[in-house]
Amino acid sequence: MPKRWAQQVALLAAWLAAAALLGLVFGAPAWWLTAALLLYVAYTLRYIYLLDRMLDGSKRVAPFATRGLWAEILARVDRIKTKSRNRKKKFHRVLREIRESTGALRDGGVILNGDNEIVWFNPAATWLLGLDPRTDIGRRIDNLIRHPEFVSYLAEPGGEGITIPSPKMESAWLALQIIPYGRDQRIAIVRNVTREIKLERTRRDFVANASHELRSPLTVLSGYLDTLADDEDLPESWQVPISEMLRQSNRMTRILSDLMELMHLESAESDASHDFVDVCTMLRLMVGDFDSATAEHPAVTLHLETDAALLGNETEVHSIFFNLVHNAVRFTPASGSVEVVWRAEDQGAALEVTDTGIGIPAEEIPRITERFYRVDPGRSRAMGGTGLGLAIVKHAVQRHNGVLEIASVEGEGSTFRCRFAPDRLVYRGGQAEAAV
Amino acid sequence: MEVEDLRQHISRSFNADIESLHNSVLTMGGLVEEQLDRAIEALTQRDSALGLQVAHDDVKINRMEVSIDEDCSRILATRAPAAGDLRLIVAIIKAITDLERIGDEAEKIGRLAARLAGVERPTTNYRELRNLARHVKQMIRGTLDAFARLDANGALAVVKEDEVVDEDYESICRQAITFMMEDPRTISRGMDSMWLARSLERIGDHCKNICEYVIYMVHGKDIRYTSVEAIEAEVARAGEAAEAAS
Repeated sequence: MPKRWAQQVALLAAWLAAAALLGLVFGAPAWWLTAALLLYVAYTLRYIYLLDRMLDGSKRVAPFATRGLWAEILARVDRIKTKSRNRKKKFHRVLREIRESTGALRDGGVILNGDNEIVWFNPAATWLLGLDPRTDIGRRIDNLIRHPEFVSYLAEPGGEGITIPSPKMESAWLALQIIPYGRDQRIAIVRNVTREIKLERTRRDFVANASHELRSPLTVLSGYLDTLADDEDLPESWQVPISEMLRQSNRMTRILSDLMELMHLESAESDASHDFVDVCTMLRLMVGDFDSATAEHPAVTLHLETDAALLGNETEVHSIFFNLVHNAVRFTPASGSVEVVWRAEDQGAALEVTDTGIGIPAEEIPRITERFYRVDPGRSRAMGGTGLGLAIVKHAVQRHNGVLEIASVEGEGSTFRCRFAPDRLVYRGGQAEAAV
Repeated sequence: MEVEDLRQHISRSFNADIESLHNSVLTMGGLVEEQLDRAIEALTQRDSALGLQVAHDDVKINRMEVSIDEDCSRILATRAPAAGDLRLIVAIIKAITDLERIGDEAEKIGRLAARLAGVERPTTNYRELRNLARHVKQMIRGTLDAFARLDANGALAVVKEDEVVDEDYESICRQAITFMMEDPRTISRGMDSMWLARSLERIGDHCKNICEYVIYMVHGKDIRYTSVEAIEAEVARAGEAAEAAS
């Protein structure tokens, strides 16, 4: 028992003993004892009252006594109160700072629970997404932001997020990303990307317009050059320059049309259409064309292991296949070989173009689908490429929900593989199994 | 009626049923909103491919209507809901019909936009139509927000908005008629733009209907075929009653 308790018990005992003694001296000890106990109860009540006041109000109550059990209890309560008051102040300050800083953020943040219900959001989310802090806490976010793309992204968040039109602001665009954290909590970060989208559009429009505008003067130039090159009276000294000019202007035309194709692929927002594309016939015709070409080239062999047809955009599919085969032929010496395979896989089907050409150094592989990127600028230009073929292939394959895989060993050859998912394929009445 | 109201049932699966029904209506609404957005985009950007795509995608909305309808019948049959739940389901059954019609109008707009993409356009590039469309888009958003929040006052605001849309429609028609009289060569274009305006105006009407169902759902008052002022008074009274009760 702590000392102060022993003291208190001793004090009470002494008090009662004194009362009993006085009672014995003056008679009626029971009355004396009762009076003493009543006094003690009053003394205790007084302190309980003080304690109560102290716990109740924010004001400090002056302690009745400076020593003894009660004084100490009151002092301790006072200390605890001061401490908790200070802590509360601190938390308030921190909370206010957090609230102010999230309020000052230009990006919106929305915290969601496991059921996609809104737990909290900052002021930026109010004006970006049109949420209302008075009514929307606890509501499902997909009830308020109903864009179909957002709804499907919410079901399966991942990747780099999505871009949707703002539900609140006219012609504004928002980039939205959902990041999981903690236990079953998620935060949605919203950013206004209207400016970026506009810039991107302007850039695309500029390239498209410029390519288009450049085409007409170029047609005139190549027209005259064509006539000049065919002219038999052309002086000897002019023949080389004219034919070179003709070649270059042809190349420029090709670059422009590739650029326009690429811009078209980039600007198309949704996936490619689902038209029926007869891959086998297309490949047969294409390989036939290569074989009958007059220039010297490596042997191109075609293996059709499945008769699956693709659901996609015919022009784009043609451009994928043509660019891949054309590239393989260009970078393979005439003594080498190019193999084109259309085969069924566990998941869907794939077109594989394998050559025994010069190959690509491993460190360059990730970059070769960039626009105008060349492993060896001098050489590929001499071979008449535009530098846009693989960029077109990549975009077109993506638009068909496919994947482009590149494997290569420098000096030995490369393999380009386009994988297409099963939902893009159709098989003709059971022949698929037979073909496999 | 508050959000919690959708979760007040003892049976948890009933709660889940009602909530998922409410959600799927709003998902359908989101689809409808997007369809209209794209149809208008096709008109302003002269994108005939997009316009035809919109017309083609209308089947998605039709399919959703059928599936929500089935869910409603199933809940009615198996749960025999009463009071607020019954009102909710009745309102949903009606609302999806209107949503589906809005989808049909968006389909029409898409088709017309595809046709107008190849025709010479007025110098204003259909500014009045675009204004009307913006108004109508706001109405749809307000309607679905009111539906999501079960917010009678929000619904009332949309009902009031419909008058402005009707006025806009009138003035577009008058303008189109004037143009057609001045220059008969523009008649076919003028007719198309009148049909566009007509479709947009109809969408406004459907929004108004849905808002009336929202008010019915929240307060249990049928306010169809009454003047805006009467509706306003009704909603205010019901709101006060609800407040007093709580």
